Amino acid sequence: MAKTRQNWTAEPWQDSEMLECTMVIPESDNCATIAFRPPSGAWFDYQPGQFLTLDLPVPGGAVQRTYTISSSPSRPQSLSVTVKARPGSVGGRWLLDQLKPGMRLRAYGPAGQFTFLRHPAAKYLFISAGSGATPLMSMTTWAWDSGEMPDIVYVHAARKPSEILFRRRLEEYASRVPGLQLRFTVEEVDAYAVWPGYHGRLSQIMLGLMAPDYLEREVFCCGPAPFMAAVRDMLESLGFDLARYHEESFDAPALVEVPVEPSPPPGAAQIEFALSGITADCQGDDTVLAVARQAGLNIPSGCQFGLCGTCKVLKREGEVLMVHNGGISEEEIAEGYILACCARPQGLVSVEV
Amino acid sequence: MTDQGNLRSLLQAQLSGQSLARPFYTDPGLYQADLDNIWYREWIFAAPLAELPKAGSYVTFQLGGYPVLVVRGGDGEIRAFHNTCRHRGSRICPKESGQATKLVCPYHQWTYDTNGQLLWARDMGPDFDMSSHGLQPVHCASAGGMVYVCVARNAPDFAPLREAADRYAAPHRPDELKVAHQSRIIERGNWKLVMENNRECYHCAGSHPGLCRTFLDDPDLFGSGDSQGSALGAAHVERCEAAGLPSRYLAPEDELWRLVRIPLVGETVSYTMDGKPAAPLLPGMPFANAGTLLFYHYPNTWNHYLSDHVLNFRVMPVSATETEVTTSWLVHKDAVEGRDYDLTRLTEVWIATNDEDRRVVQENQLGINSPAYMPGPYSQRQEGGVIQFVDWYVRSMLRGISGPARVAAE
Repeated sequence: MAKTRQNWTAEPWQDSEMLECTMVIPESDNCATIAFRPPSGAWFDYQPGQFLTLDLPVPGGAVQRTYTISSSPSRPQSLSVTVKARPGSVGGRWLLDQLKPGMRLRAYGPAGQFTFLRHPAAKYLFISAGSGATPLMSMTTWAWDSGEMPDIVYVHAARKPSEILFRRRLEEYASRVPGLQLRFTVEEVDAYAVWPGYHGRLSQIMLGLMAPDYLEREVFCCGPAPFMAAVRDMLESLGFDLARYHEESFDAPALVEVPVEPSPPPGAAQIEFALSGITADCQGDDTVLAVARQAGLNIPSGCQFGLCGTCKVLKREGEVLMVHNGGISEEEIAEGYILACCARPQGLVSVEV
Repeated sequence: MTDQGNLRSLLQAQLSGQSLARPFYTDPGLYQADLDNIWYREWIFAAPLAELPKAGSYVTFQLGGYPVLVVRGGDGEIRAFHNTCRHRGSRICPKESGQATKLVCPYHQWTYDTNGQLLWARDMGPDFDMSSHGLQPVHCASAGGMVYVCVARNAPDFAPLREAADRYAAPHRPDELKVAHQSRIIERGNWKLVMENNRECYHCAGSHPGLCRTFLDDPDLFGSGDSQGSALGAAHVERCEAAGLPSRYLAPEDELWRLVRIPLVGETVSYTMDGKPAAPLLPGMPFANAGTLLFYHYPNTWNHYLSDHVLNFRVMPVSATETEVTTSWLVHKDAVEGRDYDLTRLTEVWIATNDEDRRVVQENQLGINSPAYMPGPYSQRQEGGVIQFVDWYVRSMLRGISGPARVAAE
């Protein structure tokens, strides 16, 4: 006769069920870990490193945002995401300011292929910057919970020592398993506060010091696109076999909000659609694409996160803030083209639409 | 349609030194056999390197039934792919050439990196595996500043050609050329008639008044021989080799390709109406009157490397009786149109020559279409190059339908 299950008698959570927020835990400035539970008592089954898509009821209509999961499926009772709100962010801002325990959200997933379970190796090198730490924290927790001695060099780049995500928890793990090596570097240190770690941007030389045997390690990298590109270039020029390099893929585009900040808070803006003879008022954090739609104009678009380039239009005048994902070349930008889906008007902007 | 047995007997009945039987020039089934046994097996010239100057530059073309895309990646590498989306097959790049940041299917915006990797596809669900839906690669390599592709599963060895063509073309600085002009014409004739016509100059005196101002119609220079039969040719090769220009006749045993540098008429230096240069001397060339480096590669290209410009010719079959010929005029990238060269002067001789060739090929096709056509003898003296081309064709077709072992046993 089959042994009765003591725990997990329920089925794993399915995304047809809404999730209830149970805790909002501050991590650092503008950053918090948000924990969820399914009201039915279901448990979470996923792979460490995967992401979740949340429907966020922000003012002006729901938006979908994806966030990598910072908890580990080895602790399946709850699921958490760690969200950093950049200036100008909509979804992250709403989660930090408006979401309270007890509120329920529609969620989809978990999904994604960025997980070390798909690439078993004897030794790992985890590299992250900013909130890119979340999937690597999930993997590290899984490794720690596995009961085996992990061999992980965990590299994290933060702006300041106080912004190193999960620092205390990582130090707790590392103090109990010698195979977990922590290497932190920061861009600025606080006066009169001792910082014994690395200082400055992650570089080839630094990488060689942090993990002298990096050539033997399976690398997982997550962070802003330019950061990942720099890591990739570093490894490639050092002769690293890029088949063993993994980074967060584009199927979760919103998961790393690239840290390019509009200097002033989004103010009033205006877009002139020159060929249509329409001028629309908007905010500095609206996209040209969204404003065009509201004005009854349709710019053909695809991915809506600056990768496919379908929504490329010519800007005649004005400034936009554009954080794209490679869907437009430097030359095209120099010629005045913008991607409407990820260009935000700064003041008066005129486009050929 | 031509079945294999029928094709074999047609090929075996073919006498060397005679033009091919009528179906070889007219029959759609035989045209398909040409594609299957030659065009889908051999390396095919796709584009001058100069047409892909920077990351994201791309060229597309139709190779028989295959739409093919050649693109320079962000890493500078040139790669070729089947120009068909992994979603529902739509052509990804409909334009003949252009500049792309990402390769985006216009149908549903599936987005590929220039290295062929699928980057984004909307709403395909969490189980969709992006990594297994990249663009299908096509073999791609370059030689002498020309990009070649091969759609076969296993491509023939490209190394001997690359080594030879790179060495011979090096003084013309293929990496530093730009496309000054390109023309594309359709000749209403079978592709073999286009190649045959190119491989002889028996017709030149009667058809090419402009070209013959500078091009020597001496069969000992450009035919199937080693060009040493002409005293003028031998002296030219000596002089050029002494100056560091690889010039001596070079071809593999099967004569699939050939390289040789031959002189032009008298003191002329380029294919212009007055024989004077059309563009500034290419930086690697020791002198202007270096003649022309002739380079053909079967089945689809012949080329002229001059001291001031380079001409690449691409032949693509369109149907049993239609062929597209694309000509690229390449000059040094620093040369400025209007200041350093005049486009009309640079292109007029070969625009006229191409048009004259188009007319002779079309007349040839119309005559062959007659049920009264029967194969005639080639001139051994004047048409050695044609005999060699047709022999190569028959050999390749027999190998294609029989496998190499049987041909070797012949």
